[in-house]
This record gives sequence, C-alpha cells and structure tokens, in this order.
Amino acid sequence: MFFGVGLVKTVEDFGFQGERPVHPELLDWLATEFMQKGWDVKGIVKTMVMSATYRQSSKVTPELLERDPENRFLARGPRFRLPAEVLRDQALAVAGLLVERIGGPSVKPYQPPGLWEEVSFGDTYQPDEGESLYRRSLYTYWKRTVAPPSMITFDATDRETCTVRLTRTNTPLQALNLMNDITYVEAARVLGQRMMKEGGPTPEERIVYVFRVATGRPPRPQEGKLLLDTLHRFLDKYRSDPSGALQFVREGQSPRDETLDPSELASYTSLASLILNLDETITKE
Amino acid sequence: MDPFQQSSLLMTRRHFFGLNAAGLGTAALAFLLGKDLLAEETSPQQPPIKPAEGGLPELPHFAPKAKRVIWLFQSGGPSQMELFDYKPRLAELRGSDLPDSIRKGQRLTGMTASQDRFPVVSSIYKFAQHGHCGAWVSELMPYTAKVVDELSLIKSMHTEAINHDPAITFFQTGAQIAGRPSIGAWLAYGLGSENKDLPAFVVMITQGGGDQPLYDRLWGSGFLPSKYQGVKFRSVGDPVLFLSNPPGFDSALRRQYLDALGQLDHIKLQEFGDPEIATRIAQYEMAFRMQSSVPELTDLSKEPEHVFKLYGEDAKKPGTFAANCLLARRLAERGVRFIQLFHRGWDQHGKLPRDIAKQAKATDQASAALIQDLKARGMLEDTLVVWGGEFGRTVYCQGRLTEDDYGRDHHPRCFTMWLAGGGIKPGIVHGATDDYSYNITKDPVHVHDLQATVLHCLGIDHTRLTFKYQGRHFRLTDVSGNVVSKVLA
Repeated sequence: MFFGVGLVKTVEDFGFQGERPVHPELLDWLATEFMQKGWDVKGIVKTMVMSATYRQSSKVTPELLERDPENRFLARGPRFRLPAEVLRDQALAVAGLLVERIGGPSVKPYQPPGLWEEVSFGDTYQPDEGESLYRRSLYTYWKRTVAPPSMITFDATDRETCTVRLTRTNTPLQALNLMNDITYVEAARVLGQRMMKEGGPTPEERIVYVFRVATGRPPRPQEGKLLLDTLHRFLDKYRSDPSGALQFVREGQSPRDETLDPSELASYTSLASLILNLDETITKE
Repeated sequence: MDPFQQSSLLMTRRHFFGLNAAGLGTAALAFLLGKDLLAEETSPQQPPIKPAEGGLPELPHFAPKAKRVIWLFQSGGPSQMELFDYKPRLAELRGSDLPDSIRKGQRLTGMTASQDRFPVVSSIYKFAQHGHCGAWVSELMPYTAKVVDELSLIKSMHTEAINHDPAITFFQTGAQIAGRPSIGAWLAYGLGSENKDLPAFVVMITQGGGDQPLYDRLWGSGFLPSKYQGVKFRSVGDPVLFLSNPPGFDSALRRQYLDALGQLDHIKLQEFGDPEIATRIAQYEMAFRMQSSVPELTDLSKEPEHVFKLYGEDAKKPGTFAANCLLARRLAERGVRFIQLFHRGWDQHGKLPRDIAKQAKATDQASAALIQDLKARGMLEDTLVVWGGEFGRTVYCQGRLTEDDYGRDHHPRCFTMWLAGGGIKPGIVHGATDDYSYNITKDPVHVHDLQATVLHCLGIDHTRLTFKYQGRHFRLTDVSGNVVSKVLA
C-alpha cells in the first residue's frame, strides 16, 4: 500500500521458493520494533510513513532507473498508479460526490447495460439511484462471474481466489474507462460546477483550484498556461455548439446547477475530466 | 554466519534439480554465448512486464506453423453421436440397457444417477461419408461436411470434469478450479500482439442466451497481469466498453483534449523520469486510435454480398454466431492473436432432436464458411481453427425415450472436436470410440494434450511457457499434456 512493493516481493510466498528480502536487516528491525511496541499496527504504519525513505521524492534519474528499475533499493520514493477502488473513490471525492457513510448493504453503481444479460441465466443489472451511486467502491455489489468492469480493468482481483499481490498494468482500456465511463464523466461535471462556484471568479483561479483539489499542488506557470489555452479551446467549441454542450452536461443522475451556462459548464467539465486523467492525479507519488 | 547469507548459500535437492533441468544441458552453450544463465535462473524476479505488443523474448521456442487461433467454443457439450461420431450398431441396440461392461461403474451426474434404466438411444439423424477422407458427418452439419477435407476430426477427446463450470474452466485454464489464467491470456502473455492498435485476445459471445451461463474467468488472466485478459467485443452498445466519447463530446474535441493531456503528462515525465508516464501517454494515444479502428473493424456493412452468402444471412445480424465468425476473420486479418467465440445452448438433457438441430443450424454454415473464407484469403495456413465443447453426451437416454424424442446427459469419457489450419494435418480422423461412443478405443486425447498441441502449432513448448506464482512455475497444461503429433501436418 505504501511503497507499492514489499521488502519481500513475493508476499504470497514467504517460503523457500519465494524471494529473499532486499533489506533483511531493515525487515528484522521493523519486525522487532513492531513486537516491542506491543503489536501496534497504527504505530508501525506511522513509523513507516514518517520515515525519510518514504518521504523521498519519486523523481528518478536515467542512471538510477537503469540500476534499479523497480525501486527495490528504495533510493527514491514510491510512484505507482492508484488501485481500482481508490481511483473511483478519489474521483468521487474530489467532485464532492463521495458518500462517506460507513456500513450497510452492497450498492449497484453505474455499469454499462447488458453485461449480466449476455452471459448469465437472465439476471439483469439495475443500477441504484441517489446516494448509492456515490458510495465507496468497497460497497460495490460484486457478482463474481461478471465482475464490475471498471474494477477489473484497473487490476482489482477477480475475487475467484485469494489474492495477496496485485498486479499493476497500464492499458488503453483504462484510458477509455477514465475518459468515457459515466462515473468519471459525471464526477468531472460536478467538479466543473465546483470550479465555477467555488474556484473564484476568473478562469485562472479556477484552474489553480481544480489542480490543487486533484493533485495537492498548484500548477506551475507552464502548466497553468497550457490549461488556460485548452479551456479557451473548449469554450470556443461549446459556445458554437450549445446543444452538444447541453447533452454533455446532462450525463449522470446528480442534479445539474441550471443557473450555470451549459456551454461554460461543458468546457469546465472537459477541463475537469482532463485533470482527472492526468498521470499525476491517478498516481501516488 | 548471518542467517540470510546462510540461507542464500543453502541449496536444496529441489533447487539443485531445478537448476540442472534447465541448467546443465545448456551450461556449455551459455558459456559459449557469454551469457550468465545461472544467475538468470536463480533470480527470483518475474520477467518484467512488457508493453502491449510485448511477449516474452524467448518465444516462440521454435518456428510456429500458426500465427493466431480462432476457437469456436461450443458451450454446453454438443452430442458427438448426432454430429460426428457415427455409430451404426446403436440402431439395433436402441432401447436396450447400457451394459455394465461399457459403463464400468462410472459415476454419473446427479441428473441421471437415480434413473431406473439407462436405455441406449441411437441418433435420429442420418450420417454419410464426405470428402476424399471419407469422414462420416451427420445431416445436421451439411456445410461442415463440405469442408471435412480441411479438418482433423478428433473423436477421442476426453476430460476430467462432468459438469459445465469445472469442465469449461478446465478447457480454458487447464484446471477445474478457478484462479488460473485462460489460454488466451497465456498466449497474450507469451506471444504478445501482432497489432498494437488491438488487444491480443478478443472474446465474442453469441447473443440470445443459452442454457448455461459463462463466466469472466473463462477469458480472465488469473495470476497473470490483468492486461492479458480477453477483451470482450460486444454486439450491443460499444463494441469495447467505454469506447465512445460521452454524448456531446466529439472526436475533434477529444483530439484537443489528448494533446493537452499529453503535453501535461510530458512535463511530468521530464521532471520525474518515470517510464510509466511515457507508457500512459502511449496508451491514451492507442485508446484514441481504437476509437476509430474498432468501429471500422466491427462495421460489416462494407463486406460484399457474396461474403454474407457464404456465412449465411444471419451474419448481417449483430451478435449471431455467423456475424461473430465473420468478425473473427476480420480480427484475424488485423493480427489479433487469439480470438475466441462462445456459442451456448448445446446442453440437450431433453428434447435433443429438436434443439440440436437448431444449434447446428445456427453454427454449421458459418463455421464452415470461416474455413473456406480463410482458405480463399490464404490465411488458413497460418490460422488455427478449433471447434468443440467442454464434454460430450451419454449414449443412454436421459428422461423418457419415445419414438422421436430423447435427451442425453453429460459425458466426459469421449467426445468429438475438430482442428483445422495452421500446423494441422487436413482430412484425417483421429482416435476412435467403442460401439456405444462411451469409451475411447484408440488414441485418447486429453484436454491437456489438446492444449499442448495448440501451443505447439504456435511455436510454443507447453512445458516451457510458465509463470512463477506462489513459489511454483505454473503452466497451462499443469503437469501433463503431450502434443498429439498424429494430427500435425
């Protein structure tokens, strides 16, 4: 969860066929520390995330990359794409859609129609309405024979067998998912609304706002300018295509703020979607 | 001594043989090549994950005869006795009890185990010999009958499972229990893709339901990275999930969006140097290309009329087996490595004469058309086509046997499949069964043997395509499987 890979990579196998630890002394120390502090999980987690190793920058030089492509020696900070559940939760959270209530039965968020029907005995998937669409992915209803596609696409385990080590892939299907899945289109639209209502009066301020919300830092001048130019392109397009704009901002069940101009909202939605698709947004570093 | 050093010096018997199986024989060669083979062998790391077109550097192991596979999976268990396994003696035995000398105490499914009697039933459909090879084919398969000289008919298939879920999982993953990678995922992992704009492994399912469900794991990647899983091409909605831009967001806008996204990611890449960012930029570009290449691929409207005549009128209806066969050919033309069609509905426990005729009608013409079409395009020589289900059906009747109606239960001990194309000997019948089509009498072919054979045609030694997981080098054929050399060209 923290470093992306353990001190022993083969976490499913600590036996003789497994990998030996890359830093045996560190592993030893962490183990005894954990014992001596009374098996305090929160404490050992704190020790790890406050360590100088964890707080290093994720930047990498070509030389270092060549010597240690997988960062096993931890000479740099971790950098990896967020897990499936976290990705969706993050998009909902930055949009302000996420329902943080704990507990309760599983929910059925959006899913393309027909997925269950084409392989099952005739079960149909009926997405829920209202807040059930925006609960943490942990609560997503899981039919093992037809798993939720956006989870599987982002390497969630298929839950057929116990999986302790997740793989992490980088595919075009993931790009399509993040750009076009209604979950993310709606999150972008609601985030676009936030930009317009909470981000300040000028486009520049709104861009800084959304960038900070999604990445935790303000954009650099070069990035800010690029985003501003892009926003203007989107605005040009949607001002000349108001019906397309209206179609685009109607996606998703959550109420749209009808006081906002659809062409403007469509442009901010597009920009918010772009921000949600940035490598930096979907990557932990 | 430091315990970790000690452990690294330890060499167990298993370790020693593990090294030597691959090591000693090639040690001299490795020395000549100046390659540190031993170091490589002892490395506990997985081979690094490759980009989409990837594949493993050591593959293929030898020159492949086939570059790609089209697998026409007939899910449910087609009855061999009504289709390919001609048993003339059954006509006179009709209604008699299945002898114990044939059944040999076999444990049956819960669906028929409690029957009072097991009356033998012959096929209601007639057979005739076809082609130069003289293979017997039923009147239910008139089109397949015309291409028998291209096929290797294997009458001696057998499997270990008697129910659908484990049997189909066994075919797809080499294990009855869920969790292993499917054959297509193995090939995507091992061989990569020939087309960087399309996935290496595509799955298509005949629409309109069936008697048995299918499961994601049948084309899943198991413990292999998930990018090797089969991508379902669908006939309703987007052919690939999330392919279309949202309503009101057009392609020109997507291009501007991706240009900006790419530039921002590029700034990040320059600053952080993480190659994953470069890969991500490339994957977004591929997604964009797929947005035009996939609809072009799945659009059958430009196929000439004679093609529809060949595959049948059904091929004009999206989601039919015929349309999927035609799509399979288009995918093969574009270099997709493993194309798998699933057609359900072969599970005839009752009303077999009526239902099997419908099934045959829905699949026969297009299956044969695919062979002819590939051949006409010169693609049959490097495309391996596989036809078959997860098991066969019993010679005895399930339920009531009447003049013109009967049913058959699941039968794992023998069933028929066919192979054609790349690497396969055309126009032969391999293996044989007894007069009851109950037991194999000649050249049995186990599911692992078939898998080994398919891999062999693709230039892969099935014992050497492995992935280390949970301390074990797993492979598709588990610990068995022999290439069926008699069906090889």
